[in-house]
Amino acid sequence: MTSYGMVIDLERCIGCQACAISCSQENNVSLDHQWNRILTEGGDSIDTPDGEYPENGKDGTLEMNHLPTACQHCQNAPCVKVCPVNATYTREDGIVEIDYDQCIGCRYCMTACPYNARVFNYDEPETQPADGTGHVEQRDVGVVEKCTFCSHRVEKGLDPACMVGCPADARIAGDLDDPESTVSRYVRKYETDQLLEELDTEPNTYYIRGEMSPGRPQAGNELEGTEPKETLLDADEEPPNEAVRASSGGEWP
Amino acid sequence: MSDHPKPMIDGFGTRGKLWVGLLVALTAIGFIAWGYQISQGLIVTGMDNLFSWGLYIMLFVFFVGLSAGGLILSSVPKFFHSKRYESVAALGVLISFASIVVAGLMILPDIGRPERIHHFLTAPDFRSPMVWDFMVVMAYGTFCAAYLWLLTRRDLAAMGSRLALGVEATDSGRERDRKLGFWAAAIAIPLAIALHSVTGWIFALQIGRGDWFNPLVAPMFIMKALVSGLALVLVVAILADRFTRFRMPRDQVADLGKILWVVISIHIIYLVAAERLPHAWAGEFEFWAITSSFLIGDTVYFWLWTVVGGAIPLALLAVPSLRKRVWVVFVASLLAIVGILFEGIQLVFKGYDELNIGHSPGVTTGTGYEGIGSNIWMTAGAYTPTLVELIVSIGLIALGALIVTLGLRYLPIQSEEVRSRTDGISGGRAATDGGIDREEHDEQ
Repeated sequence: MTSYGMVIDLERCIGCQACAISCSQENNVSLDHQWNRILTEGGDSIDTPDGEYPENGKDGTLEMNHLPTACQHCQNAPCVKVCPVNATYTREDGIVEIDYDQCIGCRYCMTACPYNARVFNYDEPETQPADGTGHVEQRDVGVVEKCTFCSHRVEKGLDPACMVGCPADARIAGDLDDPESTVSRYVRKYETDQLLEELDTEPNTYYIRGEMSPGRPQAGNELEGTEPKETLLDADEEPPNEAVRASSGGEWP
Repeated sequence: MSDHPKPMIDGFGTRGKLWVGLLVALTAIGFIAWGYQISQGLIVTGMDNLFSWGLYIMLFVFFVGLSAGGLILSSVPKFFHSKRYESVAALGVLISFASIVVAGLMILPDIGRPERIHHFLTAPDFRSPMVWDFMVVMAYGTFCAAYLWLLTRRDLAAMGSRLALGVEATDSGRERDRKLGFWAAAIAIPLAIALHSVTGWIFALQIGRGDWFNPLVAPMFIMKALVSGLALVLVVAILADRFTRFRMPRDQVADLGKILWVVISIHIIYLVAAERLPHAWAGEFEFWAITSSFLIGDTVYFWLWTVVGGAIPLALLAVPSLRKRVWVVFVASLLAIVGILFEGIQLVFKGYDELNIGHSPGVTTGTGYEGIGSNIWMTAGAYTPTLVELIVSIGLIALGALIVTLGLRYLPIQSEEVRSRTDGISGGRAATDGGIDREEHDEQ
C-alpha cells in the first residue's frame, strides 16, 4: 500500500509564501481562496513576532515562526466520514480528494474539518488571467474544494507544486508506508508533531520542530521513487491552461 | 345539532382569504428569492468559508424541534390507551407534518448544488450523520402524513371526501382505527426520539468544532424539541380556537401549560446545569467564581434562550392561578419558542466563533476578493443573515402556515363528537374567520 504524506521542516521554513503562490498558480485557485495558508505563530497579524522587544537593558522575548497549513490528508478524516454523497473520499494512495461533479455543496465537510482546510465557491471563481492558471480545471460555483496533494502531478511522478516552489527545501513528500522513504526516515529521526493530534484524525502531515533536517533531498521535480525526469515535459505532456499558453506566445514550454 | 364531521373552517371569508393570500404571496416571493440565490450563488448569503452554515441550518434545527410536540402529544396518550388530549391529537399531527416539511425544505436553499440532491439516494455514505438524518426526516414526514390520515379518515369518509380513499365511516372501522392508533403511537414515539437525536448528532459527532462535541447534545435536542413543539401546539390550538370552529378545551390549556413548565425545567435548569457545571467547577477555584462561571453565559443568545425562553415562561407557568389564564399560557409558549430559536442560533455560533488553529492571517473568507489590496482573511467567525436568506426563510415558514391553514380548511381535524363535548376557550363567542360564527352553527 501507498500512503502519501508530507513532512514540513518548520526549522527550514522562512515564511516566504512561495509554496502558497505555487499552489494557487498550479491549481487554478480563485483569488477568494487559498488552499495552502502560511500562518504566523507570533503576533496579532501576519509576519509579526510575539513577545517583548529588548529595551532598557532587558532581555527581549520576541519569537516568530511560520506554520504552513493545508489539507492534512488525515487517515481518519472527519470530512470523508461526514460527506453524505461520497464526493469526498480517501484514495488508495492515502490522498483525500473531492469529486467536484458529485459534490452537492452542503458544506458539512467544511464544518467537520478541524483544520479549516476547505473552501467553498460562494461565487464564480476569479483568477488572473480570467481563464485560469496551472494544470487543473477550474471548479464550479457551489462546490467545496481543497488541497489535492497535487494528485494530478503525483500520478505523473512529480512532486506537489508547493514542494517545487519552496526555496528552503522545507517540504518533503513521499510514501509514509515505505519505511525507507525520506518522509518515513525523517519522522523516525526528527522530533515531529501533527496538528491537533489530540483529535485522533491521524494526519499524514508531519511538522519538524527542534533540530533542522537536511530538507528535501532531490534537486529535480520528480516524486521520490519515480524515474528521474529531464524536464517537466517528461512527465507532463499536457500544456497548461489555454490562457497561460496564449500569454506566453503560444509556445510550450 | 349535527354530528356530521366538518372541517374547522367552512369557507374562507374576507379575512381568511387575505390570510391565505398573504401566505401564498410570501411563499411565492420566497421561491423567487431562492431562484435569485441560485442564479448568483451562495455569495448572496451571509455565510463564508469559516461560518459555513447559517440561518437555513439554524431554522432546519428549529423546525425539526417544532415538529416534535404534536406527534408526541397525540401518540403518548394513545400508547397508554388514554383518550386524554384527544381533542388536539389530529391538530398536533398536522402541525408536526407542516413543521417537518418546512425543516426538510430548509435544507434545499442551503446547499450549493440543489439539482444534485438525488445523490443522497444514488450514492449515500452511511457513515454520514446527514444521511441518517435524511432518512429519518423522510420517514418522519411520511409517517406524520399517514398518521394524520389514519386519525381523520373515518371522518373524511363521513364527509364524503375523496381523501378517505375508499375507507368507510363504520363504527367497527373506527374501533379498528383506534387499535391501529396504538400501534402507530408505538412507532411514533421511538421515531420522534430518533429524529431529534440524529439531528443532534449532526453536530455532536464533530470533534473539530469545539463545544459541539458533547454527548449531551442529543438529549438536549430531545428536550428542546419537546419544549418548542409543545409550545407551538399550544399557540396554534389557541389561535385555531379563536379563529376557527376548532375547540381547545380550556382546562387542557392549563394542563399542557403545566407540562410545558416541566419540560422547560428539565431543559433549561437541569440539562443546562448538567452541561455547564463540570466545565465551571473544573475551571474555577473560588465558590463564587464557580457559581458565576456556571450561571453567566457569554453571548446575548444565551440570555435570550435562558431568560426570555426559560426564566420568564417558567415564572409565568409556575403560578396555578396565572396558568389558568389562556393569554398567560399563550405568551409563555411564544417566549419558549423564541428561546429555543436562540438556543439553536447559539449552538451554531459556538461551533464557528473560534478557529482551532487561530494564527494570523487565519482562513480565507471565500467571499472577499474585490481586486488587488482587498482583505480575504479572517481569524474569527462572524455572521449576519442577508435579506435574501430572510426572505427565503420567511417564504418556507409561510408555506408551513399554509399547510396548517389548509388542513384546518379541508380536514376534520376535530371530530364532531369530541368537539360537541368540549368546552372551548372562547366558549360560544363568534368565530371571526370564514364569516360563520359558532352560535349560528350550533343552531343548525
